Amino acid sequence: MIENFLAGTAALFGDPFTIAIFVFGVIGGMLFGAIPGVSMLTLAAILLPFTAGLEASQGVMLFAVIYCTGTYGGAITAILFNIPGAPENAPTAFDGYPMTRKGLAGKAVGAAVLCSAIGGTASALVMMAATEPLAQWAIRNIGPPEIFALVFFGLAVASSVGGNTIWKGWMSVLLGLLIATIGQDPVGGINRYNFGLSDLAAGIAFVPAILGFFAVSEIFIQAEKRAFGKHTAPKFNVDFPTIRELWRYKIAVVRSVFVGFFCGILPGIGATLAAFMGYGEAVRWSKDKKSFGKGNLEGVISSETANNAATGAAMIPLLALGLPGGALTAMMVAVFQMHDMEPGPLVFYNSPDLIWVVFAAMFYANVSILFIGLIETKTILYLLKIPFHFLAPMILLLASIGSYIGRGLVLDVIVMFGAGILGFLLRRSGYSIPGIVLGIILGKIGEQNFAQGMQMVHYDLLTYFSRPICTILIIAGAITLGAGVYKALASNRASANQE
Amino acid sequence: MGNLSKFHILEATIWASIAIIFFVFSFEFNQGIEIYKFGATGWPRGVILMLVLVVIGNIFHQRTHGSSAQDGRVGVTDDELDGVDKSASSILNIVAFVLLPLIYAWSLKPVGFYAATPIFAALVIVLLGERRIKWIIGISALIYAILIGLFMVVLNAPLPQGTVSPFYDYSAFMLRMNNQLQHMF
Repeated sequence: MIENFLAGTAALFGDPFTIAIFVFGVIGGMLFGAIPGVSMLTLAAILLPFTAGLEASQGVMLFAVIYCTGTYGGAITAILFNIPGAPENAPTAFDGYPMTRKGLAGKAVGAAVLCSAIGGTASALVMMAATEPLAQWAIRNIGPPEIFALVFFGLAVASSVGGNTIWKGWMSVLLGLLIATIGQDPVGGINRYNFGLSDLAAGIAFVPAILGFFAVSEIFIQAEKRAFGKHTAPKFNVDFPTIRELWRYKIAVVRSVFVGFFCGILPGIGATLAAFMGYGEAVRWSKDKKSFGKGNLEGVISSETANNAATGAAMIPLLALGLPGGALTAMMVAVFQMHDMEPGPLVFYNSPDLIWVVFAAMFYANVSILFIGLIETKTILYLLKIPFHFLAPMILLLASIGSYIGRGLVLDVIVMFGAGILGFLLRRSGYSIPGIVLGIILGKIGEQNFAQGMQMVHYDLLTYFSRPICTILIIAGAITLGAGVYKALASNRASANQE
Repeated sequence: MGNLSKFHILEATIWASIAIIFFVFSFEFNQGIEIYKFGATGWPRGVILMLVLVVIGNIFHQRTHGSSAQDGRVGVTDDELDGVDKSASSILNIVAFVLLPLIYAWSLKPVGFYAATPIFAALVIVLLGERRIKWIIGISALIYAILIGLFMVVLNAPLPQGTVSPFYDYSAFMLRMNNQLQHMF
């Protein structure tokens, strides 16, 4: 492994043009992740056609680097503006933004930098050491029933955070699942709920939905507060956390690395669920559950470690099985195809050089998050000094461009602003925006794997319980769901007794 | 009725309407799939059924608790605006601010990005309370220049050009300028 890694490093840093692409990917991913309104996906979508002119290893490496650094960059906007750069940064905003309101933005961002680097680097090391055996394990043990069970568990976790009540949490998730049914069904390709609009046949793209529900609704909320004289500018602060402060959360970091890696390795799941699960587990094991959502540093640490830990793991199903774990890894498949290659087991034998250049680049990208991230972060924190009424049009316009560029459809911009209005109204009524977004992202994956799983087990649901991983995940999801409903019913009974 | 208010009933009615609309429209694609017993409607109808059950649970919860948040919930947003003076002009301002982006999005097809963007930026700044003309024009121009510089000149991103003259002509002019600029370097 070390020989291969050194060979990959030599190939990466032996050619000035490859170095330039690497540096561009690191800085571009961080910047696009950290600019409110656009994301690493916007950059990736713009760059996709240009990768045809690069070598295959350079193109795939560029996207892998953008994936690592962009996942971290999205945490900055989540913390500073309550606008996650990507869905995997949504749980970061739960505690990161309240910390900004309290004048602790520097601590939150500093923790995000360090934990993203730790999570990503640990994941890259495991990826390098164990891609092939893990891929073999995944092939044998992970099938559609397991993926469906994990989606169920993830949705149960999502429903337990964000909404005012468990009911509103689930209503948010189910609304997301319902929105995800728009477009062709994943089994038979039959058009559903397109209401006569041909553009809707491909469904609701999740980039406009994310931008609308998070970025646009946040702008509306702040505009409303401003109109009613309740808007207060976030406090500016660049004090990073001390090593001693962060050391207190070592167990949360280790736990999130495991959670993130496990979620990342499963095809189609990706970093988003990893972040939610990392956050959910942090809450579950904490002695001070009530402090979460109000500015607990552990929330930021858990979410950011888990989502970056998933980036390396997401390469395993992509490279070993040819299955992308999210939008950006799906674009990487397109890069392979542009060069007449298919990701899958044969890549390891046909193009080992490519694989090790990508692995080495991901490792160094995660390490560089720590150094470049700390320098860049101090600069980005100055965004807090820009008055809201000058920042808002910029965010709205960047979000419009980010939505349009993905598919070149004006409908996506309309969907984004529609989602913004819906998100604004739902947030005012105590619903969970992350729940809706996770429902949209996991809806299609859940349906597809449920259908494939049912076909596999000949429509006998009990067979799911003969598969150990599937059983554990379903039970974990059922406990999360049951505990939430029990708490809600218990509080109903307590209120009735008081009356 | 307990703690149920008119708002709660309206809220439940809206959710019920969503469920009914999606259920009724599911008959439009009620076709079997040879390899899959539940067909194209199985999953959406399952989601609708769960949504109805959860809405019923929500009504029962609101009957005893009203709108208050359940104890121990994590990540509850603090977007309440209690005790503020909601004047008619403030509410109108919010309505205008919320509708403006939708109008902008609708205008992108006929007017195009290049012509609609500076006007939109200026209107957003005005609706957010800025009244100094120099600042409105200056900041709008700066935002426009940054976006054009980044997306048109550097990244060559395809943006909506509009279909109606003279907006389309303006977009064509901008793209010609960009072409000439690219040839210079």
